[in-house]
Amino acid sequence: MRVGVEVGGTFTDLVAVEGGKVVVTKVPSTPKSPDVGAFAALTASGIDLARISDLGHGSTVATNAVLERKGAAVAFIATQGFRDLLFMQRHDRRNIYDLFYAKPAPPVRRKDCFEATERLRADGSVEMPLDEAKARTELIPVLKSGGYRAVAICLLNAYANPAHEKRLAALIAEALPGVLVTCSHQVAREFREFERASTTLLSAYVQPVIDGYLHRFESKLADAGFTGRFTVMQSNGGRLPAEAMRQSAITALYSGPAAGVVGATRQAARSGYRDLITFDMGGTSTDVCLVQDGRPSLASESEIDGLPIRTPVLDIVSVGAGGGSIAWVDDGGMLRVGPQSAGADPGPACYGKGGTEPATTDAHIVIGTIRPGAFLGGRMTLDGDAARRAFEPIAARFGLGIEQAASSALQLADANIVRAIQLVSTERGRDPRDYALVPFGGAGPLHAARIAEELGISTIVVPPNAGVISAYGLVASDYTKFDAVTRKMKLDDAAAAEAGKTFAEMRARLAAQFADMKLPGDLDYTHTLEMRFVGQAFEVGVEVPADRLGSLDGAYLAGLFADAHHRTFMHGATLDRAVEIVTLRVGATLPIGTIPQLDREKLAARAPEQAKIFHGEAWLDCARHTAEALASGQKIVGPAVIEGYTATTWVPPGWTAELDPADNLILRRS
Amino acid sequence: MSQLGPIDYAVISQALIASAREMGVKLIRSAYSTILREARDGSAGLMDRFGNTVAQAELIPMQLGPIGETLRACLRRHPVETLKEGDFLINNDPFEGGQHIPDVFIFTPIFVAGRAGKSQLVGFGASVAHHLDLGGGAPGLNIHASDVYQEGIRFPPSKYDFQRDWNGGSFERLVTANVRVPDLTIGDFNAQFAANAIGVLRVKQLCDRYGADKVEAAMKEMQDYSERRVRAAIAQAPKGIFYGEDAVDDDGLTDEPLVVKAKVTISDDSVEIDFEGTCGQVKRNLNCPYSSTLSAALSCVKSVLTSPDIPYNEGMARPIVIKVPYGSLLNPRPPAPVRARMIPAYRVFNAVMKAMAQALPDRVIATGFDCTTAFCLSNLGEKGYSVYLEIFGGGYGASRGADGCDAVDSPLSNCSNAPVESLDIDYDFFRIVGYELAPDSFGLGARRGGAGFSRRCEILKNDVQLAVYSDRFRLAPEGLLGGEPGQRGYCRVHRANGTVEELKSKAAIDLAKGDIVEMFVGGGAGFGRVEERPDAMIDRDLADGLLTRDPRPARKLAAE
Repeated sequence: MRVGVEVGGTFTDLVAVEGGKVVVTKVPSTPKSPDVGAFAALTASGIDLARISDLGHGSTVATNAVLERKGAAVAFIATQGFRDLLFMQRHDRRNIYDLFYAKPAPPVRRKDCFEATERLRADGSVEMPLDEAKARTELIPVLKSGGYRAVAICLLNAYANPAHEKRLAALIAEALPGVLVTCSHQVAREFREFERASTTLLSAYVQPVIDGYLHRFESKLADAGFTGRFTVMQSNGGRLPAEAMRQSAITALYSGPAAGVVGATRQAARSGYRDLITFDMGGTSTDVCLVQDGRPSLASESEIDGLPIRTPVLDIVSVGAGGGSIAWVDDGGMLRVGPQSAGADPGPACYGKGGTEPATTDAHIVIGTIRPGAFLGGRMTLDGDAARRAFEPIAARFGLGIEQAASSALQLADANIVRAIQLVSTERGRDPRDYALVPFGGAGPLHAARIAEELGISTIVVPPNAGVISAYGLVASDYTKFDAVTRKMKLDDAAAAEAGKTFAEMRARLAAQFADMKLPGDLDYTHTLEMRFVGQAFEVGVEVPADRLGSLDGAYLAGLFADAHHRTFMHGATLDRAVEIVTLRVGATLPIGTIPQLDREKLAARAPEQAKIFHGEAWLDCARHTAEALASGQKIVGPAVIEGYTATTWVPPGWTAELDPADNLILRRS
Repeated sequence: MSQLGPIDYAVISQALIASAREMGVKLIRSAYSTILREARDGSAGLMDRFGNTVAQAELIPMQLGPIGETLRACLRRHPVETLKEGDFLINNDPFEGGQHIPDVFIFTPIFVAGRAGKSQLVGFGASVAHHLDLGGGAPGLNIHASDVYQEGIRFPPSKYDFQRDWNGGSFERLVTANVRVPDLTIGDFNAQFAANAIGVLRVKQLCDRYGADKVEAAMKEMQDYSERRVRAAIAQAPKGIFYGEDAVDDDGLTDEPLVVKAKVTISDDSVEIDFEGTCGQVKRNLNCPYSSTLSAALSCVKSVLTSPDIPYNEGMARPIVIKVPYGSLLNPRPPAPVRARMIPAYRVFNAVMKAMAQALPDRVIATGFDCTTAFCLSNLGEKGYSVYLEIFGGGYGASRGADGCDAVDSPLSNCSNAPVESLDIDYDFFRIVGYELAPDSFGLGARRGGAGFSRRCEILKNDVQLAVYSDRFRLAPEGLLGGEPGQRGYCRVHRANGTVEELKSKAAIDLAKGDIVEMFVGGGAGFGRVEERPDAMIDRDLADGLLTRDPRPARKLAAE
């Protein structure tokens, strides 16, 4: 049996898959010790732990350790003259008119930052050797007296030559056993010292926390008779064995959204859809990602709390539009939705827990798409009158009916999501009309059709159990690790050959790491060259097709680059300038083999009922179906509402819905 | 908003803002010169067909403010009716709506299919970039220029055809022939054209989706919206006449401070700022063109009066009247040199801020180091010029509620630093050997100013030129409500032979292998009396080594 346990901010979700049988469980999260909620979910599901062969886990432990500043006591070491690297940052401001601006605060104080006497040049050659005596007599004693649990080292140009970092780390490890030492060349072997230093520091900061958490989790599992493989989700969309993750904590940040994308991608692939835009609409935000030929797009950098993290992550854009997002009028008289959210407590007005401000969930009740008595499969009753009352002030302000006001709020939430989708598609040179939309999360399928219409998308794939796709993604994802090396060279045939050679070395390194993790099997590799025109500062990632790796030449790579550059920036297609390779990146993936099937959970089916939905400017009569009552191949013509346990789908006029053999609900625009 | 519902308005306006942001991101990310790509000294926006700013990528406040002025100067010569698809407008003339020579503004008209199949101009994609070198008397920066002609090539408000005149055309060749690093400069121009093209495309898509009439109505409403929000903020402010004053150290020739005076009159729903009494224009590049003065004053008022989420567009400026005497430092007659206009522009910002502090002490900050330090190293090698130019800020002023921001670009600008590792890759004639926060560089107070910093460069070859302009080497930033002043800046050359040379704030000098240049920019001033500073904040700065002397024993002594 394969089991995924995803700890979210509000709920802990569990999906267990065995043969054709699916068990879905939702329990409240326990933010103080997330493992308690995770074990509560296991208990509630009634699963015998001894029967689990594969347990995938995702949690917000790493993310929260940073956001709540609950990581390890960490010291930071830089090259002489650059102790303040983490505070200087990039000298810019995020908000240019804010007089009271403060920079993002790294989880370390200036008193915890030290220097090593040494200097390397850009090509890795030594300008000034590492002063080992000084490190022994001056640096190590203060590290010792400071009581640090972790040390992060980021020396200038160490990406080109890690020798000084390695030597310094060895000296510290020798003198201070038990202190965890993290070097920049291990976490991000790329140039730009501040970004690399920030990544190194955050990694050192969360590692002891992840290490402790996973250790605790593993021993609890062992006590309960679990003997299967325990794996943890990463932000790059792949898993690692828990043991390996304890050495590579930085990739555990934001693993939840990544798991959702993988789950949605895998489930859509079962119906043959591989070019996708996924959107996960939860309580407070919506996460959007573009998937090309079954592979989610990657970004080479992300950030947490304003601090950069230089490791590959799924290219997910988040906007503050969720079921709890509040509609309001600003002091210039403009109607807005989010980013403030009613959260889970008090929640939208309809929760009846004291919330009075109108949230998107309230709007759905007002227009009829959500039935107050049927939320979460009828397990939660909502207050419809409270939802209507919440929209009265906005209706009065704009001279609208209450349902018009609610409908307006929903349109604005949709517009926010549309902009997020444009960010990952049109702004990256991709046309959203070439993709199928895959909505999930509790609120996604209710909004999907209108968003598709705005973007000209004509196909929507609604996965079954759309509310627990992230947990499914945990057991449907492969094992993945990335390696990157900055090696700047002007692009010509010799550089192309050199790139081919470097790629081979990187593959060998990754293969050895998989062997160390006791993950046998044939690895799939992706090869990316980050290139730019000579003189530029930002690179464009270009994936090199596997079948061309043996025969790379300068002209071929230059052509790939020019296409990619022109697609994004609308200039540079003519190649009248020299191109350079900056960074090489290899991803190694061990496929998990058979993908577990996510089917509908079978609930008691009811006959369709009549319903009234406010759409456009009028109330429409339509049918309300239960997802469980649908037969494979049955066509539902919109307007219609299809209710499931964890999510409800809205099929507007002009759309038809059909349940396919993979249990996906396919919506098509006629 | 007759034909425009609240939803259409919200959706279209947000889409226009998103488009402007996308233009800005792509301008920076596809640029070539360090000043544009790393320092991000460029901006972008969308304009309506009357030449008003509608939406902007929030990059550099100074460049953003008067884009409308710059475009309208072009439209006076080349009215909208005379423009056709494929044209572009260009302007960097400090005396006709531009700022200083390096900031080149390019505007691309947006045509959409209008009524009866005729094409209709709905607005402009706009971008501005600080170009690394546009010729003139010295690479990157000619601090000795005594008129604008010595500062580089001037593009008066003019119109060209992109297909005919660029991409190998006559205009492109004219530019190429007059700049020292044409590869980078032409690359940066191309990044500007591409950013504009993206803006044009996005607006066309919006017009296809919603109709040009609705898009134009939204453009108008966005300006009205910002105007309403600014007027609402003014209505809440105390009414009266307030005065503020600050000064530039000197003009680089004499030791006379250059005084900037602002009289701010806050009435029911408008603000008037009059710079009467400001000193006359000067012989070196510290003159501030009218557009720059306008921009600095507006940025200050916007920052103080309104929350940061109010979009900056033409409507914002409507309630604010600005009067600047012609022939003064802040509205010079041609052909005055203006390259270092950011420095007097900061004194405009400071003088207006000090005046507003009397009305709204809780919404202002004390004076920061508030200066653009332009630091330029160049070397002529066998393969031509190599030019490095970087912009440094300093520490921010403190406020009622918070310490000033440490080591950040100053309020009118927003340039990033260049990564040391990227400089190591790109330049072989110098190396950065230190980049550190400066302890005790801020003014203490109930809240302290932001810390300043130093950046040290080791010179690796002979025949390297340094050109620098900065300020506040003589006149420190003043504290507010009892706060102490911030530290002054300096630039020192530690010669290979052991001697140390102290440079003036505006200087050019030859350097040789082994020299180390130390550029120090100071911190911001404090807010409120240091006696009111919480112990925990003092202890923290002491432990972090940002403060080397405990102010408390002295305080106790003074009380006895």
